[in-house]
Amino acid sequence: MDLKAVKLLLEKNAKKTWNPLGVKEEYCSMWAEGMNFPERGEVLLYTGCLYQMIPYIDMFARLLKGFESMNPALFGIAMKINALADSLGLDTISLLASLEISKKDKERYFRIVRSIANALLSAGVKFAYMREEPYSGVLYHDLGMDDLFREHVMRLAKKIKETGARKVITIDPHTTYMLNYLIKEFVDDFEVEVVHYMDVLLERGYTPKVRGPKEVVIHDPCYLARWNGVIDQPRVLLSRAGVKVREPEFTRKFTGCCGGPIESLFPSLSSKLARKRMKELKETGSPCFTVMCPICLTNFQREARELGVRVFDIMEVIE
Amino acid sequence: MTDLTGVSQLLNKVSDDPVLRTALDRAISSYWKKRKQVMERYPYVKELADEVRRIKEWSIDHMDKLLDKAIEAVEAKGGKAYVAETAEEARKIVGELVGTGKVVTKAKSMTTEELKLREFLIERGNEVYETDLGEFLVQFLGPKPMHFISPSIHLTREKVAEFLKDFMGVEVDKDDVEGMVALVRKFLRDKYFSADVGISGANAFAADRGAVFLIENESNIRLSISLPPKHIAVVGMEKIVPTMSDAWKVVEVISRYGGYKVTSYINTVMGPARRGDGDIGPEEYHVIFLDNGRREASKDPILKQTLYCLRCGACQYLCPVFGIVGGYWAGLESAYSGGIGVMWEYITGDKETSTQHAFACLLCGRCIEACPVRINQPEVLREIRRRLMERI
Ligand code: SF4
Repeated sequence: MDLKAVKLLLEKNAKKTWNPLGVKEEYCSMWAEGMNFPERGEVLLYTGCLYQMIPYIDMFARLLKGFESMNPALFGIAMKINALADSLGLDTISLLASLEISKKDKERYFRIVRSIANALLSAGVKFAYMREEPYSGVLYHDLGMDDLFREHVMRLAKKIKETGARKVITIDPHTTYMLNYLIKEFVDDFEVEVVHYMDVLLERGYTPKVRGPKEVVIHDPCYLARWNGVIDQPRVLLSRAGVKVREPEFTRKFTGCCGGPIESLFPSLSSKLARKRMKELKETGSPCFTVMCPICLTNFQREARELGVRVFDIMEVIE
Repeated sequence: MTDLTGVSQLLNKVSDDPVLRTALDRAISSYWKKRKQVMERYPYVKELADEVRRIKEWSIDHMDKLLDKAIEAVEAKGGKAYVAETAEEARKIVGELVGTGKVVTKAKSMTTEELKLREFLIERGNEVYETDLGEFLVQFLGPKPMHFISPSIHLTREKVAEFLKDFMGVEVDKDDVEGMVALVRKFLRDKYFSADVGISGANAFAADRGAVFLIENESNIRLSISLPPKHIAVVGMEKIVPTMSDAWKVVEVISRYGGYKVTSYINTVMGPARRGDGDIGPEEYHVIFLDNGRREASKDPILKQTLYCLRCGACQYLCPVFGIVGGYWAGLESAYSGGIGVMWEYITGDKETSTQHAFACLLCGRCIEACPVRINQPEVLREIRRRLMERI
C-alpha cells in the first residue's frame, strides 16, 4: 500500500462527499426515513455514520485484500493512477456505486441504528437528527492526516451547532471518543456534552428485552472500554434483559482488539488478528459473540462463517 | 518511503510461521498467568509504578543536570565516565577500551544491541560471548533479540534443543529446560575466567552514587562483570535517576511488570574494586553515557514519554500485533521490537523504516494498561504517522 496514494484517495473522496469511502451523507440518514425526527433540538442523536457505512467498508476491505496479494509493483501503480487520475475504473466512488450492495446487508445495519433510536424513544428521550448526517472524520485522525481532520471536524462542529444541541448522544466508540476528546484539540468552542447511548439508557432506568440469543460471550471494543471507560454499561443492560454473559480471558480493560483499525493498510494482518481474538472468545464455550462497535462487528463478521460462530451487535441481542 | 509493501509482506509472512506462533502463544500465556499472580501477591506495585512514573518524568526533564551529577559520582569513586553523542562515538570509545584479540563477556543489554556492539567488537578481532541464555541463543541463531527481557521469545524449546545438540555435540532432551540452561552455563563458565573485559548495560543508574543497577535471573551478569579485570557499562541517558532509592524502585517495578514473582539477583556496581580493602571485582570501571537521539527526544513534548520506558517488556507481551508477528514488528534491522520498539528506533535509529512500521499499530491501547508508567504508545505512533503524512 502506498501512503501517498491513500492520502490522495481520501482527500479526493473527502472533497466530493466529505466521506473517506465516498458514501453520501443522505445515505447515512436513510435509516431514519419515516421516523420524523426534528432537525433541531436540545439533544441530538449523532451516529457518525459508521454503522451505516459497514457494507461499504466491507466491500472495500475485500477489494484491498485482493490487491494486497497482487504484484506489489502493479498494485503501487494502480493505486497511484487511481488516486491521481480517477482512471482504470478504480475510483472508489464510482466503483462502490457500481457494485450492488445487497438490500439485506444495508438493512441489517440500518436496523441496528433504528433499534438504538427506538430504545432511546422508549426510554423517554426526545432528540433531533440531521437530515444529511456527516461522517465523524476519525479515520483521518488515525492516519495522521490532521489537516483533513481539522477541516472535517470544523464543518461537523458547525453543523452540530446549527441544530441547537447542547447534548449529543453517540452510538459507536470511535465517534464517542472523537467528540469527547479529539475534537477539542481542533475546534475551540465545541462545548456540547457528549454521552454514549448506553449511559443514557441506564440513566433512564431502561430495561431492554431479549431479541437474540439468551447467552453470549462479550467482546469489549477497545475504544469503548479503554478509551471511553464504558465497561459495566453493556453488562448491566444485558443482565437486565436476562441475557447470560460469558467473559473471555482477556476482557474489560484488557480486552483484545478485533484488528479492524489496520484493515485499510494491512488487510491480511487485520483478518489474522480478528481470527485470533475470535478464538479467544470461542474458548468460553459460547458461539454467539456480542460486540458494541461497527468496526468489531464487520471485522468479526467476515471471519464468522469459517469459524462457525455468530456475531451480533448488542442491539441485535437486546432491544 | 511511502510504500508499505515491504513492511506488509514481512509482517504477513512471519505471522504465518507456525513455529513463531507457537513460541509466542506459549510465552504470552505464561506471562499473563504470572502477571496476574504478581499483581495479586504484590498489590502495592501499582502505586510504586505511579511513583516511578513521577521519578522518570522528573529525571527526563532534568537529564542534563543528572548527567553532570552522574559523571561526577563515577569519577569520585575512581571510575571513568564518558559521554557518547552518537552510536558511532560510543562504539569508538568501547573499541579503544577493549582493543583487539581480547575475550569479552556480555550481560544482556538492549542499549548495546542498539549500538550493534557485539558485531562491532567481533569484527575487530575479539571473541565475544553473550552470557544471558536467551541472548546467547540469539547470538548464534539470530535474527535479533525479539523482546526486551525474553530475547529468544521466538524460539521454541524444540528449536533450542536442536541447536544445542549441534553446537555442543551432546544429546539434549527438549523437555529438560533446566538441563539446557546447565549446558550453556558450563560452556560459558570457562569464558568468564579467561575474559579480559565484561560489558553490561544498566536497568537503572543512580546519579548520587554513580551506581549501575542490573537485574538478572541466571547469575551470569554477576560473573561476566566481576571476574574480568575491566567492566564497561553502557548506559542510555534516560536510565539516570537521582538516587539509589529511586533506582531500587525502578528495578522492582521492572521485575514485577516483567512477570517475576522473585527476581534472583539485583547487582549494584559503584566503582572499581579498591585494592587492600579486600574488595573483589574489576580494577577498572568505565561508564559510557549514551545520547544517540535521547537528549533531542527529551525536549519533544510527544516523543518524550518514550524515555520513561523501563524496558520491562509488558507491553510487548500484551500487544495483539506483537502476539502474531513478535519482534519482526519494527523491522529486522532494528534492535527494538513492537510498538515501543518502533518508538525507540525512531529516536535512536532509522526514522524512515520506523515511520513505516508505525502504521501497523492498531491504536487499541492495551499497551497503556500493560505499562507500569502508562506510556501512551498510540499517541506517539500516531504522531510519527502525522509527521510523514504532513510532508507527502
Ligand atoms: S513501554 Fe512500558 S510496558 Fe512497554 S517496555 Fe516500556 S515500560 Fe515496559
